Amino acid sequence: MTATATTARPARNATAVYVFAVCRGLAAPALAGLPGHRDGGALRLLAAGSLAAVAQEVPAREHDEEALRRRLAEPAELEGYARAHHEVVAAVAAATTAVPLPLATLYLSEERARQAVAGNAARFHRVLDRLTGRAEWGLKLYALPREPAAAAGAAPVPEAGAPQDPPASGRAYLERLRGRQRDREARREAAWLAAERVDAAVGELAVAARRLRCHGQEAGGPERQVLNATYLVDAGRARELAALVARLRRDPALAAHVRLELTGPWAPYSFADEGEAADGEG
Amino acid sequence: MARDEPVPWQGEEGPYGPLGLPLVDLLDRVLGAGVVISGDLVIAIAEVPLIRLSLHALLASVSDRVPAPWADGGRL
Repeated sequence: MTATATTARPARNATAVYVFAVCRGLAAPALAGLPGHRDGGALRLLAAGSLAAVAQEVPAREHDEEALRRRLAEPAELEGYARAHHEVVAAVAAATTAVPLPLATLYLSEERARQAVAGNAARFHRVLDRLTGRAEWGLKLYALPREPAAAAGAAPVPEAGAPQDPPASGRAYLERLRGRQRDREARREAAWLAAERVDAAVGELAVAARRLRCHGQEAGGPERQVLNATYLVDAGRARELAALVARLRRDPALAAHVRLELTGPWAPYSFADEGEAADGEG
Repeated sequence: MARDEPVPWQGEEGPYGPLGLPLVDLLDRVLGAGVVISGDLVIAIAEVPLIRLSLHALLASVSDRVPAPWADGGRL
């Protein structure tokens, strides 16, 4: 038996230790009632020096790379896995300051998990200090399709084969097509500018900000996401944030172009590092 | 109609209500969480083939209402 468990599959009844989050040992919350992963045991706090890891024993054969490749490839399993993870992280983060760990952070034994946490205690404490009294808020902006007024005022471009209202000439027709293209570009530009403006305004209120990857456009959907950002905000400023977003929504210059969606407060997933990613993906 | 309130899943029962939040926003975060330590069994899950491969299934099945994450970039 060797320790290279990443290449060989774990024994049939071997267990692994799944770690959800790390908090200060003295502030560790009660975990009763939190189920964690369906196939695991009761949630436990693993003491690791001055820190505590929120952990669960799970069957290793169901959580090794091969098993997860299979399980997470099924949408329902992926969703269940992600929500089980989040439920624990969110409950812990609601009760105390915690560093959320990424999905599927697994150790071969409790001892290995303790070592990993204790060995990085200084980094965890720095992150915990940074997260104390703060929460993550998500902000998404969607470019609106052409507003009805403009759509009604503009000369319609007939669909191919539409018999009514034929263009006076091919030239006029092309001119209209170009106009529509220019209009589209102008609207896209306006949405991007709105996103920059909103991001700057909200960023001023935040301790740190990150840009997440924009979601793809819904198939055939009218709205394109132009900003998927997330902010670390002092708990005492949450109301201010809500008021700011409400104000931005009412701003006619923005409202004509974008729709804002605020989510949160989140456990501070996106800020669970030492801040090196605080400037986003560039 | 624009809502001035944060998303509805922020209820009285607690600020981090686990149910009802969009899966796509959740995946943005649980997969993209900053990494302070790495695990033994599955390493760097957010960056690598494991999840990228897995997302094929998700991307193929997301409903019209829920846009796929990362559809605009990355080598899936």
